[in-house]
Amino acid sequence: MPSLSFTPRLLTAALALVVIFGATGCDHVTDPDGPRLIDTFGPFAIGDPVGADRATVDFAAGQQVVFSGTFSKQVDWVLEITGLESGAVRRIEGFSDELNATNAVWQGRTTNLPFFKQEDVEAALFVPSENSDTTRVTIAVDAPRTYPGNVFSDFEGGEDIFIGNFEFEFENAGISNEVPAGEGETFYLMRGTDDVVRNFFAGLIDVRPDNGGIFDVPTTVPEDLYFNFMIRSFETDFTIAVVQLVVDDNGTGAYELDQDAIFPFGDIEVDFEEGWRLFSKPVSELGLSEEEAQNIVGVRVVLISDANSQPTPALQVAFGIDYITFTAGSPLEL
Amino acid sequence: MRFPLRHALLLLALVLPLGVSAQGTDTPGGEPEAEATGPGIRFNGLGRTFIQQTDLGGTLAEADTVTSETRADGEFLLDLAVNAQPNRVTEVQGVIRLRNEFGGFFGSGVTVELRELWARGIIADAVRYRLGDMNLALTPYTVFLPDEDGTVNTPEIFQPQREIIDYEEFYTGRNERRFQGGRVDFGLNFDQVLSAVEVRTFLARLRGTDFSTTPTRLLSGGRVGATSRPIGPFGNQATLGANLAYTWDDLESGDANSGIRNIVYTFDADIRLLDQDGLALHLKGEAGESIAAVRERMEPADAEPTEENLFSDDDTFIEAGLAADLKGAGLNVSAMFVNVGPEFYSAAAQSKRVDYGRALGSFARIGNDRAARRFGLFDLSRDESIYTFRVADELMPYDPRYSNTLPYGRATPNRRGVRVDAAYAPEGGPITAGLEAAFLREIRGQGTEELKDFLLVRAEADVPIGQIASLDRRIGATLGLQVENTSRGGVPVEAVDLTSVLFEAGLSAEVYDRLDVLLGATLRQSSGRDYVPQYIDFNDIRRFPAPFVTDDQESLLGAGIRYRFADQVYLTVQYQSYSYGDDATPEDDYRLGQVFALYSMNF
Repeated sequence: MPSLSFTPRLLTAALALVVIFGATGCDHVTDPDGPRLIDTFGPFAIGDPVGADRATVDFAAGQQVVFSGTFSKQVDWVLEITGLESGAVRRIEGFSDELNATNAVWQGRTTNLPFFKQEDVEAALFVPSENSDTTRVTIAVDAPRTYPGNVFSDFEGGEDIFIGNFEFEFENAGISNEVPAGEGETFYLMRGTDDVVRNFFAGLIDVRPDNGGIFDVPTTVPEDLYFNFMIRSFETDFTIAVVQLVVDDNGTGAYELDQDAIFPFGDIEVDFEEGWRLFSKPVSELGLSEEEAQNIVGVRVVLISDANSQPTPALQVAFGIDYITFTAGSPLEL
Repeated sequence: MRFPLRHALLLLALVLPLGVSAQGTDTPGGEPEAEATGPGIRFNGLGRTFIQQTDLGGTLAEADTVTSETRADGEFLLDLAVNAQPNRVTEVQGVIRLRNEFGGFFGSGVTVELRELWARGIIADAVRYRLGDMNLALTPYTVFLPDEDGTVNTPEIFQPQREIIDYEEFYTGRNERRFQGGRVDFGLNFDQVLSAVEVRTFLARLRGTDFSTTPTRLLSGGRVGATSRPIGPFGNQATLGANLAYTWDDLESGDANSGIRNIVYTFDADIRLLDQDGLALHLKGEAGESIAAVRERMEPADAEPTEENLFSDDDTFIEAGLAADLKGAGLNVSAMFVNVGPEFYSAAAQSKRVDYGRALGSFARIGNDRAARRFGLFDLSRDESIYTFRVADELMPYDPRYSNTLPYGRATPNRRGVRVDAAYAPEGGPITAGLEAAFLREIRGQGTEELKDFLLVRAEADVPIGQIASLDRRIGATLGLQVENTSRGGVPVEAVDLTSVLFEAGLSAEVYDRLDVLLGATLRQSSGRDYVPQYIDFNDIRRFPAPFVTDDQESLLGAGIRYRFADQVYLTVQYQSYSYGDDATPEDDYRLGQVFALYSMNF
């Protein structure tokens, strides 16, 4: 009977349809959707306080510090590492319920200048959204991080510096440790008052390489050669820093005053919040060609007092400069 | 992805000449057939007048020195339908609305608008078409309007206000959505193997462009269904269908450069395994896939425009089970396995009737601190301003007190389990009843690995007391019940346990010729805690606002009379009392009392 053969075929087809649809219809994403409830509504508590996997660290030797700590739920936490002498700050942030090697590693870098130096540092862990207690741990930095690049001058002493105090307007200027240096122990303090000859100019320094000749740069491609230096503000009004590269223009292989080419970085109004800031530009932006990039013989730093805005008598102006360095491929990474 | 409409029309063009014996498909719902009446112009429509006064009372109102305690409003409305039938196969209708708000005289509050305009007809006695306003439903997973919240079997006393909502939002009672566009239907009859093939295609515009960043949104799709001839002693028969719903933004409209795409294609089957001795046994089901994407259009100055997906989700669903029809007993029972993926998104099937993001139309803010009043049965039963027929582009907000198991209807995503339905309607028997139960579980946790379990039971019954007692009066009672429980384990912050009970009872008694006394009550009580997510990118959870914690109850009681001038012409005068209380905040308990008179006339 045709009907008897039709029924099994129909049933088979129906079951096949169910199996096919069932097989394709049961495979779904199953990981939880949306933010974890426990993170949003669960109670917060500190489990393990912040800890470090070492008590001393030598960043120059490539060592690093791994921090640990746990919370009862995932939170936005902040780990703030502060140099007890330099005042340098490294800030590491994350969203998790645990600090570990994937999210809380310190390789000696800084977030806010200055650089860390050989000193004790304190790491403080806190959770802003929970108004949590702050837990702390102290670590001794035996050697700070070595940053890539060729250092032109870090003003730690021994530099060949010509001081252009032509109008005797410098006041207590020179290599200083009056405030923490941007790097190391000392920096160059430019400070004076434009009141002998009121002409914007308060003083300058010309810094030459240690060998007195041509500075060895890490690359000669102008677009890849970055000129970096740190400027410190003392929040003195009307202060302008002029930083220039000096390039051997007469083929002597050395810096001769007023005979070599000058390439200005651009005027820097030093009116920002008190502290150190890093400035970087590829030398191509200063106008250096590849040949000129191979013939850098000096860095000129000028202290300018904005006479157009200064009251009478003029106020003292000042800034600090430190860690003049050239890097290849990218600006100096803090 | 513009192919569906083009291909559907191509298919239609190819199939037309093959029709051996063609028939126009029936239009469900009783729309008059174009050829049913002769040529001419007819006028019909609806007239409605209602006036209502609402008073705010209760503990909250006693301390409230800000909110006006009494409000009165109403309207006079005439929808005049002009129906022109130039010949027996063409029909055009326009509905002009004249409306005057209660208290609006001398032009103030008066509006005149075109409410509806459509044309339809039959081509070559075979192909039925319609242009303009149209109602449409395909399957519960493609194009469908889920059932309303807050009611199971609305007592007759509350029906007039619900009818106003239905009429204003074009709810037809057949889960159809209202669109503007065009559709083409036709069917073919066969003598061998197949009994009939039905084809339906449509194209609708969901919104227009603002000629800036909002593109025109369109919906197209259709259905092709085939039914075999009954075969064998068991009456075996199979109906198979393929359905498509495609919602998309036209990125060539306006200056828009991004928009959505939502493709839903499904296959459904109804296989009659047995039809013998008053018993019919069916294997039924539907399965398919959705793809939802946000697309970006780039127009390079020197190259052809291109489009690419910024974001895309896809998922599948299946619903399959057995249905038994015990014809002699008037009992229809089905049990279905349901598995709807968490990423399944179908804009035209999951968009709700109630937009819980809207402000309430009456007493939207109460109390001295002008706090937003929660949605309640009072509002769900009469406030047309919170209802919509729009197709949303992400899962709409919902209120778990009224619907938590299937807030987006059968197409609710992230559900797996069993659904059982039973309908009791014996032929000639007085009592009709229905039962729906669902035992479902999430597939994907929301904010946790733990999964929610859902239990839903809905029951309803209509008891024609007059018929049972052999009285020559229309006396009937209605009952409705919905019980829902949602639970989830885990640590305390993840745990969920929310129970809601909704009960409805109504009585309509004709005490004098055409004069009815109406009584009704709807009660709801909810207690427990849940989390209601806010969605982004179609159906991804963006965040959880504060836990939804409730221990509240509300009641809507009504009493009134109705005089029926004719079948669809009546006047009713009622008093309804609504009270709301939350055990956690007894100082915020309030009640609303409303007197209203409604005259409604269909002509």
